[in-house]
Amino acid sequence: MKRVFSIFLVLSLFLAPLAFAEDAAAKFPEREIRIIVPYDAGGASDMTSRIIATGLEAALKGTVLVENRSGGSGSVGMTYARESAADGHTICYIPVELVMQKILGISDLVPEDFAFIGRLTEVPAALTVKSDDDRFNSVDDFIKYAQANPGKVTVGNSGTGSIWHIAATRLEEETQTQFNHIPYDGAAPAVTSLMGGHIDAVTVNPGEVLAGVEAGKLKVLALMTEERDTVSFADIPTLKESGIDVVIGGWGAMGVPKDTPQAVVDKLSAALEQAASTEEFKKFIAERGMIVHYMDAASATEFIDEQAVFFNDMLSNMDLD
Amino acid sequence: MVEAFSSLYEGILIAITPENILYCFIGCMVGMLVGVLPGIGPSEATALLIPLSYGLDSVTAIIMLCGIYYGGMYGGTITSVLINTPGEAASVITCLDGYPLAMQGRAGVALKVAAVGSFVGGISSTFGLALLGPAVADFALSFGPSELFALLVFGMSTVIGLMGKSLIRGLIAVCIGLSLALVGMDPISGTIRYGFGIRELVSGLDVVTLSMGLFGLSEILVGMENLSVAGKATAINSSKLLPEEVRPTVMSIIRGSFLGFFMGLIPGTSSAVPALISYSMEKNLSKHPEKFGTGVPEGVAGPETANNSYVGGAMIPLFTLGIPCSPTIAILMGAFMMHGMTPGPTLFITNPDVIWGTIASMFVGNIILLILNLPLAGMWAKLADVPSKLLYPVVLIVAMMGAYTVDNSVFGIVVMLISGVIGYVLKKLDIPLAPTILVFVLADMMEQNLLQSLKINSGIGGLFKSTTALVLLIASVVVITFSLIAELKNKKSALLTHDE
Repeated sequence: MKRVFSIFLVLSLFLAPLAFAEDAAAKFPEREIRIIVPYDAGGASDMTSRIIATGLEAALKGTVLVENRSGGSGSVGMTYARESAADGHTICYIPVELVMQKILGISDLVPEDFAFIGRLTEVPAALTVKSDDDRFNSVDDFIKYAQANPGKVTVGNSGTGSIWHIAATRLEEETQTQFNHIPYDGAAPAVTSLMGGHIDAVTVNPGEVLAGVEAGKLKVLALMTEERDTVSFADIPTLKESGIDVVIGGWGAMGVPKDTPQAVVDKLSAALEQAASTEEFKKFIAERGMIVHYMDAASATEFIDEQAVFFNDMLSNMDLD
Repeated sequence: MVEAFSSLYEGILIAITPENILYCFIGCMVGMLVGVLPGIGPSEATALLIPLSYGLDSVTAIIMLCGIYYGGMYGGTITSVLINTPGEAASVITCLDGYPLAMQGRAGVALKVAAVGSFVGGISSTFGLALLGPAVADFALSFGPSELFALLVFGMSTVIGLMGKSLIRGLIAVCIGLSLALVGMDPISGTIRYGFGIRELVSGLDVVTLSMGLFGLSEILVGMENLSVAGKATAINSSKLLPEEVRPTVMSIIRGSFLGFFMGLIPGTSSAVPALISYSMEKNLSKHPEKFGTGVPEGVAGPETANNSYVGGAMIPLFTLGIPCSPTIAILMGAFMMHGMTPGPTLFITNPDVIWGTIASMFVGNIILLILNLPLAGMWAKLADVPSKLLYPVVLIVAMMGAYTVDNSVFGIVVMLISGVIGYVLKKLDIPLAPTILVFVLADMMEQNLLQSLKINSGIGGLFKSTTALVLLIASVVVITFSLIAELKNKKSALLTHDE
């Protein structure tokens, strides 16, 4: 009898966490969920998260709050999320910059710190110049001019080592040109500076230049995507069409701290898929020059691992000045 | 012009529906409240209220969110005057004369001139926004890195006027401010400076946290020394201007209105810059510059007018070009997008009701705020009579809460406490704190713009190619020379009379 009891005891010790995990998932969410956005309010990642938050609320029937913790190229917010309780109540918006943090020496963050619950968007890059700049009426003009004037063409980006800086550097590499890269504190000031004619071009997300294009102050020369846009920039060619093999852009995913119970991750993942497939979300993202490209937890994890390898290779060969 | 008036009329009809007046009122109240509470500024409050605005009509939502923005400019004054703790960066300069006024029992005067100045600034810049809007938008764009750098140098040169009695001590204060500003990531190369491996330092120090410590906490520490010795020196508690103070105060409000409006147009500045320049301008134009810092009403009125007037100016690049000039405007831009609108020139065509309704609501909101603030000024001023023993703990708690909310982390509290102790030591050494904090605000922007200008022009040439930049740089040299001469003269006479 005693023996049976001890076996039962040992078994239950092993099984208890499992039962508990099941239980945690069933009860989840127990309180409000927070989405940590590692950038300031008002930007693309913030807006994406806020729209998703309303979708998640509907799917999980709970409260979902958005909290901005900006700074250090996203490292402050992401590190905070990494160190939060791994119970699914803290979700983090994960930008492409996560896979570059360690290579660029910004922080020790790596993709393995998170369990990804899904990828939401692709954030393409575009080459934009001033509309009254007669030197550049096409990508060819731009590249030829840059080749003839090495180091003279000033290209604005949203900060050294940012994805838009890397986009410009990729274009340089592929066309044997040399730009003068000007870093700004975010994409908006770079676009403003371009409108004022203080720099020659920017390589940021087309959504960031939409207002300037509508104002007749800016023109987009090319998108750095695989295929043409279907909404706001349908008549803009891709770089590929001009024979320049540059496809680069950012993306936005959602993750939770790595030790979060699998059952909770699954539940969040299902809710995220539901939130990402609402018409409201799709319309909003498309109008902002981004692309909804949902990936479930497994594909997102695989994708992000590939991206880490890709950027690691690229950045170690790249001279970011 | 006629067209603008008829559009404005349409806008007023939208703004004065009961629902819009109600939400305008709510926005202004929330703005004032967060302005009072250090740490949460208008940008955080706007971000927090965006989700709540989903259910509202888009024009109503934008009216409410704008109310938070300019309401915050009114509120920030109150804590600066009463407890020497600025509620947000734009009100740092208000401490310089606002707090001494409160110490003399004239907190009511400070709060009333600030309220009236804010009102005049707010209304006049809204007129500027309505009438000049698109016409001046291109002026904004002409400010690139070179021009901005020159403007900031000009701002910095006026700091010299705030240095107090000793030039050496003033320069020490400037150096401290510069060193503090260096903390964090280098804007060009991304190198982390003075990080000490602390993650929170990567993004640099926060100006509100720092000024709460340097000004507010150090004030408490100094006050604690005298706590047992004597009570407070409150005596007059009058909220009337003296006859000889009327003229300079009125003039400072008029000048502040123009200054704030034009600075608002320039992308990349913050509302702290026009406040600072206004203060220095008033001091330089004054017949009694030596009284600045001891409690002169125009030292409060000018900057408070300028930071409110800044709001109307800053809306122009947003409405006409889709450019966010300040962090709060950036969040406001996000709010427009959340409501399915893209700020920019097309907004005037696609959503004229929203644009003109919002502009008209700014008149309504400023009137509401004036009505709220004038009687409240007297009430708030009574707070200054609360015995220090009771007031200090409350201020300390408010400041700690504020420091926490800046980044939602305990790290902010640590920074605030440390800078409080530093502030105390500096006060004991008679090193003025205002230059420290203002240089801190300017240095960050200055460094980035200088490096950009150097990189764009492959050298220093850009600063002299642009007429605007050149004029500003020459003006800075003139200001520095004159203040140096004045300082040296003061020094000489002080030495001769053996006053010090």
